[in-house]
Amino acid sequence: MSEARLFKPRFNPAKPAFGILVFLLYLFLLAPLLIVFVVSFASNQYLSFPPEGLTFKWYEMLPEESTFVNGMRVSLIVAVIVTAIVLALGVPVALALDRFEFKAKAAVQSFFLSPLLIPSIVLALGMVLLFGPLNLNNTYTGIIIGHVAITIPFVIRTTLMSLATTDTSCEAAARILGAGSWTVFRRITLPIIQPGVIAGGVIAFIVSFDEAVISLFVAESGLPTLPVQVLRYVENSADAAVAALSVILILISLAVVVVVERVMGLRKALR
Amino acid sequence: MTESKLSIVDLTKRYAAGLDPAVDRLNMEVEEGHLVALLGPSGCGKTTTLRMVAGLMDPTAGSIVVDGKEITHTPVNKRGMGMVFQSYALFPHMNVEQNVAFGLQMRQTSKSEQKRRVAGALDMVQLGHLSKRQVKELSGGQQQRIALARALVVEPTLLLLDEPLSNLDAKLRETMRTEIRSIQQRTRATTLFVTHDQDEALDMADRIAVMNGGLIEQFGSPTDVYERPRTRFVANFIGQANFLNARVLSETGSAAKGETHYRVSIDGLGQFGAVGAPGLTGSTHELVIRPHRLRVSLQPAGTETIAGVIERVNYTGDALSVAVKAGDRVLQAQMPTSSGDLPRAGDAAYLSWNEQDAYLLPTPVKEPAA
Repeated sequence: MSEARLFKPRFNPAKPAFGILVFLLYLFLLAPLLIVFVVSFASNQYLSFPPEGLTFKWYEMLPEESTFVNGMRVSLIVAVIVTAIVLALGVPVALALDRFEFKAKAAVQSFFLSPLLIPSIVLALGMVLLFGPLNLNNTYTGIIIGHVAITIPFVIRTTLMSLATTDTSCEAAARILGAGSWTVFRRITLPIIQPGVIAGGVIAFIVSFDEAVISLFVAESGLPTLPVQVLRYVENSADAAVAALSVILILISLAVVVVVERVMGLRKALR
Repeated sequence: MTESKLSIVDLTKRYAAGLDPAVDRLNMEVEEGHLVALLGPSGCGKTTTLRMVAGLMDPTAGSIVVDGKEITHTPVNKRGMGMVFQSYALFPHMNVEQNVAFGLQMRQTSKSEQKRRVAGALDMVQLGHLSKRQVKELSGGQQQRIALARALVVEPTLLLLDEPLSNLDAKLRETMRTEIRSIQQRTRATTLFVTHDQDEALDMADRIAVMNGGLIEQFGSPTDVYERPRTRFVANFIGQANFLNARVLSETGSAAKGETHYRVSIDGLGQFGAVGAPGLTGSTHELVIRPHRLRVSLQPAGTETIAGVIERVNYTGDALSVAVKAGDRVLQAQMPTSSGDLPRAGDAAYLSWNEQDAYLLPTPVKEPAA
């Protein structure tokens, strides 16, 4: 009867210390969000902390602020199209990189992943110079090309991760059972790598929706996206409407992640 | 001669120019309804051969003929075969029923027909009650059965099994061996079975192709390859064997199955009886004797015996194997165990055998330059 006590672990001071560390890290990461959240309900005339009173007026302002509404529309259109294009391109590229051996494989791989390594400001500058003569500045096409370039590495990476863990004999089994290449892809490969593809798509959508630098360079004057509008707004006025907008954006991102997690299991996909 | 179900003619696979071929002008005829084991060590070309028959790999040369029709360049999905993979390769995103139905869907079988045949196939592997389960909820043995059902439900022209038992634990492997064999016999599916396990091959196959270095060393029934190995490799790979160099002195009569009895002389040990293919007189051949076919006696008995000294005794309860040193040779033999005294290292032992259990390999040994 006293045996159970023998195995009771002794107090380990590392445990609460670790807990405190994790708490502080989270606090550090989330503090800006918390402050934005609080400020968006503050009645202060200008963006400042701490709040002087409670109000919903900033939220009420949002639908009437045409710059925000227009920016939101541009950003959503861009993000949706970018996500579609990037999936249509990235998944086949990842498949090719995983399944085939070819001479320039390493080069192709680096080419598609390189936008991650180059500072966006450099890319943005290059694009402005390139798009000028092509009349692509201030067009959807221009913004979309820019966003595709910076989001495709994510899709390729997550898809490759999924492919690396799949058993290729499943595809062989399906072929032997009579399935042609397209059927194998649609019925076997795609469902198996689906978590990676969806994770890549979600990341691409969020990155595109969030992107400021390239949009600013390529389309500031003609077709400002929401991040560009936010930047402009903060430059000109200093009220808490942007804080309210930020809270809405955080909630949208959160909703996307939660829905995908519920439906598909994003956590599984990102692991 | 009856028409073969599968003929493989001069099939060759070379992975890269300059490399030795993985499969080297392989020829094989498989009869309808037979289970043929491709048996050999890893790298012998057995899996490559299977993959070429399946169509998963293009041969460098040669042809594959099924039911009299050349299919060497027919795409995989048009060959109508069934295959069970070592990893089972079940579709992880489908349940058991959907896995088994896949091949039927590809053949555009009607829904009701699909339902009936899937149920039949699942009953055949005794897993009808698991039809709605997800694949990952199944044990290894169950996955194996589902893979078999999925391959057989389409009534394949050939059933191809790629080391299907190697991922199972020893007990289950024996059960599945019997089960696969009985299902194969019931369905009469002509089957190619890749394995590196000689027991599996001997137990399950109608014919065994013993492969080595991209070649078939011997193609024959299990008793053929075991009792009458054509090469030293076959004798060594299938079961255990003692090898003795024997000079063939004379014929002493004809034996069953067109074989001949011989008098042979083994250097330093005397003259003995043996059996082999006709026409071996005058040259030196390796004599193959299985350890359990050697009689061990602790007293001198008869004339044609090899006298030696027991060097080592291995006792495993139901078997007793002894290593007997005779001259500069060590021979392995097996003895029945009894509760009486066991022989010990250092005891004298006398080895003898029945003439038909001492088999001369057909190819002569190269005579050492005298």
